[in-house]
Amino acid sequence: MADYPARWKVLSMDVGDSNVKEETQEIFPKDSRKTYGLMELVKGTSPMVEKGPEDTVMSWPHLLILEVLAALGTTIFLLFLSLVANAPLRELANPDVTENPAKAAWYFLNLQELLLHMHPALAGVIIPTLVIVALMAIPYIDRSKKDIGIWFASKKGQAIAIWSTVYTTVLLIGLILFDEYIRVRALISEPELFPGWLIPIAVIGGLSIILYVLIRRWRPSTREVLVGFFTAFVVSCFVLTISSLFFRGLGMRLTLPWELPPGALPF
Amino acid sequence: MANDRSLTELITQSRVWKSIFRQGYPTSEENRTKVIVNSWFLHIHPVKVKAHTLKIKYTWGMGVITMVLFLLLVGTGAWLMFFYVPSVERAYTDIQNLETGVTFGMLMRNLHRWAAHLMVITVFLHMCRVFYTGGYKHPREFNWIIGVILWVLTLLLSFTGYLLPWDQLAYWAITVSTNIIGEAPLIGELLRLILLGANEPGPEALIRFYTLHIAILPLVMTALLGIHFWRIRKDGGLSSPLEGTQHGRGGQ
Repeated sequence: MADYPARWKVLSMDVGDSNVKEETQEIFPKDSRKTYGLMELVKGTSPMVEKGPEDTVMSWPHLLILEVLAALGTTIFLLFLSLVANAPLRELANPDVTENPAKAAWYFLNLQELLLHMHPALAGVIIPTLVIVALMAIPYIDRSKKDIGIWFASKKGQAIAIWSTVYTTVLLIGLILFDEYIRVRALISEPELFPGWLIPIAVIGGLSIILYVLIRRWRPSTREVLVGFFTAFVVSCFVLTISSLFFRGLGMRLTLPWELPPGALPF
Repeated sequence: MANDRSLTELITQSRVWKSIFRQGYPTSEENRTKVIVNSWFLHIHPVKVKAHTLKIKYTWGMGVITMVLFLLLVGTGAWLMFFYVPSVERAYTDIQNLETGVTFGMLMRNLHRWAAHLMVITVFLHMCRVFYTGGYKHPREFNWIIGVILWVLTLLLSFTGYLLPWDQLAYWAITVSTNIIGEAPLIGELLRLILLGANEPGPEALIRFYTLHIAILPLVMTALLGIHFWRIRKDGGLSSPLEGTQHGRGGQ
């Protein structure tokens, strides 16, 4: 920057009032060879320095046509859905008549499923809070800029994602069945600290460590490890929601979907 | 006027038209640039976008579809407000009346309900897409955080709307959910009391959920959506594989 004069801002003042103009000219004499279009010098290089071609296209029409199509498609799909299925409306709210099963909205049913297996504070508050914090921490754990824009990062990432899906699905179904038919609380019910807190934390923690050890076989990057854990999170949400939504009947006991009591589906 | 001018030309060359649309139809590169820059509605877009980010298989359009759903929800939601009073005496009968006595009432309620459910799904799929394609990486770390907050806000919006029909489904879902919140260590009971305004779901809870649902949460959501989109631009558009191989920042 040393080649440039010390004054960085060069203002082109085109003011109608002649007095002002004279004053301005005393400070910045007008030079006919200059354009006076430059408003500011900034640090850094022009946007394309050290870059290859960006392979860009005009937003109009390429992006906008896709946005319009997405809007139309979504609206048509919703109109169709609204014609074939009505939003539910049950009897007037009555605090004296308990719904059985009383289910939360479907997107909270994964938490309601967790609730059956551990202390409510752990299932309903602590785990969701930790999950949200962990999600927010992802960019600060994986700080490499490698393989941006590539699904699953690599073939290895794909393999880890598939493996994590199988691992999480099988184990969760196993755990749900175990807690229904053998029941942790039938084995250890006192004190509450064990079935409510220590055993669930040990199971979740232990299975996470085993998942990590197994993922390590691929010699993964940080991102590929995260792919494994994020996949476990997504699959857990999915399996727990399905279990709670379609397989929980009276008293939230395991039931086959076609044997659910009327009104067990919350929509 | 002369006969050789078509009606279209008559309109598009009028002073009124030109005062609204400051460039000709975007057939040339120049006009395609101007149409984006000149329009308040379109200037949220960059003039040019990376071709890779337009591939359906890259984004599945989940972000755009989520935004479309949000707009549909604001529209249908505002319409529903004309016919709904958030009081224990009226809420349920208002919904019944909406379904049977109001033109397009059932349709609008259906649209609002299904759009809300769908948005919960698409916003989650959008988050999965961004994660699996590494879209959270530098310089987009903070926008990822905003995105996570937007996901939570979507759940809260859906949750607060769930109580409004004041039927058995709503009442017991809210009872179950607020009981869970009440279990939080230390602040649980306080949080539950603030949310319900009483010990049990009742008129106090209904008006609080309503206010959260139609005013506070949508305002927060709109503000964060603004920041979310603004930062997409500031961080160089959507992520794409071209970035990983180069040192510079994507500039748009």
